[in-house]
Amino acid sequence: MDIVMECKDVTYSYPLTKKPAIKNLNLKLERGKFYGVIGENGSGKTTLCALLRGFAPSFYKGELQGEVLLEGKNINEYGGEIAAKIGFVFQNPFTQISGIKDTVFEEVSYGLENFGVPAEKIEKRVIDVMKMTNIETLAEKSPFELSGGQMQRVALASVIVLEPDILIIDEPTSQLDPEGTESVFSIIETLKEKKKTIILVEHKIDLIAEYADEVLVFKEGTMIAFRRKQEILSDLSFLEQGVTLPQVAILGRKLQERGLGLSAIPVTEKQAVEVIAEALQERNK
Amino acid sequence: MEGKKYSIKEDFSMLALLIIPVGVAVNFVGGQLASLLKLPMYLDAIGTIFASLLCGPWVGAVTGGLTNVVTGIANPVNFAFIPVNVIVGLVTGFLARRQMFQVWWKWIISILIMAAVSIVVSAPIVVLMFGGVTGGGTSIITAAAMAAGANIWAAFFGTEGVFTVLDRVISFLICWAVIKVIPARTLIKFGCGSNYIKEKK
Amino acid sequence: MEKSYTEKIQIHKANKLAGLHPATKFLVVILYSVCTFVLSSIKLTKIGLPLAIIPWFLVVLVLCAVSGAMKKCIKALKAVAFIALVIFLVQTFIVPGGEVLVRFGFIRICEKGLKTAISLSFLILNIAGIFVWFFQTTENKEIARALEESGLNYKATYVFISSLQMINVLSGNSKTIMNAQRARGVETEGNMLVRAKAFFPTLVPLVLGALIGSEERVLTLEARGFSMEGKKTHLFNLEKSGAEGTMKITAILVTVLIVIGRAALWIL
Repeated sequence: MDIVMECKDVTYSYPLTKKPAIKNLNLKLERGKFYGVIGENGSGKTTLCALLRGFAPSFYKGELQGEVLLEGKNINEYGGEIAAKIGFVFQNPFTQISGIKDTVFEEVSYGLENFGVPAEKIEKRVIDVMKMTNIETLAEKSPFELSGGQMQRVALASVIVLEPDILIIDEPTSQLDPEGTESVFSIIETLKEKKKTIILVEHKIDLIAEYADEVLVFKEGTMIAFRRKQEILSDLSFLEQGVTLPQVAILGRKLQERGLGLSAIPVTEKQAVEVIAEALQERNK
Repeated sequence: MEGKKYSIKEDFSMLALLIIPVGVAVNFVGGQLASLLKLPMYLDAIGTIFASLLCGPWVGAVTGGLTNVVTGIANPVNFAFIPVNVIVGLVTGFLARRQMFQVWWKWIISILIMAAVSIVVSAPIVVLMFGGVTGGGTSIITAAAMAAGANIWAAFFGTEGVFTVLDRVISFLICWAVIKVIPARTLIKFGCGSNYIKEKK
Repeated sequence: MEKSYTEKIQIHKANKLAGLHPATKFLVVILYSVCTFVLSSIKLTKIGLPLAIIPWFLVVLVLCAVSGAMKKCIKALKAVAFIALVIFLVQTFIVPGGEVLVRFGFIRICEKGLKTAISLSFLILNIAGIFVWFFQTTENKEIARALEESGLNYKATYVFISSLQMINVLSGNSKTIMNAQRARGVETEGNMLVRAKAFFPTLVPLVLGALIGSEERVLTLEARGFSMEGKKTHLFNLEKSGAEGTMKITAILVTVLIVIGRAALWIL
């Protein structure tokens, strides 16, 4: 197993709070896997992102016990260059533009400029990433004139262009309309194809079901489960823990209860169609 | 509260660097709004005061000075008043560090100090560079007083005095209102932010 | 051939004067101001009026015209001219002092007043004027890059550019907020107290929103390597128009001549 990030006995409290936001977290993340993080609001998902990216406690202050390791080294030993190892995208598209560039092209190049990448190389890298995130037509527009979905794609592009191996994405579509959401998710699909390590926090459970390899479930600051996606999303007991499960999974369970034997509880639409069709065929024999 | 050690380097944290542009823009918009609502005050130091209260005197000074540099691009006359806004930032910041805004009577003294300093620094600039009149709101009154024979300096201090105090009071109240609403976990990220957090017992 | 994006973001100016490197233009500004001060010390007519700075202002106008920015400059100069005019009128007609020169009924023009009037108003017109020329022929992006070139820390440049951008953003936001508040019944017309009260519900949400946004923007900048050590690349670079040398020499020559001329007048 190629462990790329690790949390060892991590307990973290925000400043001036008595109750820790995350308690006794032990976690090993493998390179190249897609991790979905689910749980109620306030359960610690965003705190997890902050810890993994090193923003807690350095920016948020507060108290940290235990260690967060990136490639074996404690994360606070990395300086500004951590941006090239871990990309970070969060909810609000408007606060993810740098504010000092007039065109989308320059906005996406900004990170590369900060890293001192030679000018000749920047253009090509930026064009490739703009194509991948479907924003090439916006290249000469001002970042301030974009829609929420477009801005979020620019934010993703600006981070992807630094070629990090790990991407932490915290509820990227919660402020977007369905069209924007779809455009963001097709980018995430491309990232998965490139075998990046992805940590995605999302409420839209069907999307986690579609892309994740493994799922982490959080409740009130504790990670209550960390298993393969199939196991977690088909386990209805999680409904009591405040988690939404894919509708097809709930449907699958109910059908099973009523006597229709399914080979597996489906978690995606595609799977549901396959499994139910199979079961019906069996029945009609 | 025990004395806190401050360093200039720490004052200019990343967050402070991002507050400066906000302060500059608030100064600008405040001034714009004041003239839109036809108020006889400039109200163009709200951002400076805000930056000083949260991040200390040096950040406040940069906010104030930068405001005049930026507005000077459109109208170079504003460059002349850079020192005034820089001083506003410094004075407000130092007063804030000494907790001079926590108790009502200290607050009144502080406002008076802020207004007085502002007038004292701008007076020589207005009088020597502009002959006492810049064409702004209170200038007409100053001009009238001068016509009546009053000494330039007396005319200036009289009119500017009252309105500057009022200006600072309103500016301060706005900053206070905003700070009250900011959640504690955000305030703590600012250099002087912990001054404004009320301990929950 | 299709231009690359990097080429597209550069600024090309056809006019050689407007396209001068900002550092050269700044030198012109400084030297011009020095000349203005020197010229203002020349006393003409029997009451010693500093008339020399009046025709000197034409240089600003000529520069603006030759740089092809006349319209923009006139617009910006209007504000400056207004202040200069107010000062002129106040000093001439209202401020007493010295010998009375002219009298129409109850209006008097005094010697001291006239001297100060011309001196102050034209000093302002000249110096503010040359700055107007500088800023109307130079874009903000160029100013920022020039500052960087001359060694300003990249964080300071960030603050500078961000301030300019923030002004636009918050200005727009304030209009939105004010309209929303008006729709909720906040009065913006009426006596001073009413108008003053309208100030709060517009400004408080504005400042608050900007503040919360800043918190998140710190994370964004971090994610873009803002605090990386090491040399930064710059895609945008300043071009020289080729006339830098000529301009510098002309400006220095003119200044030297004026200074020498003034010294000569003083000695004679």
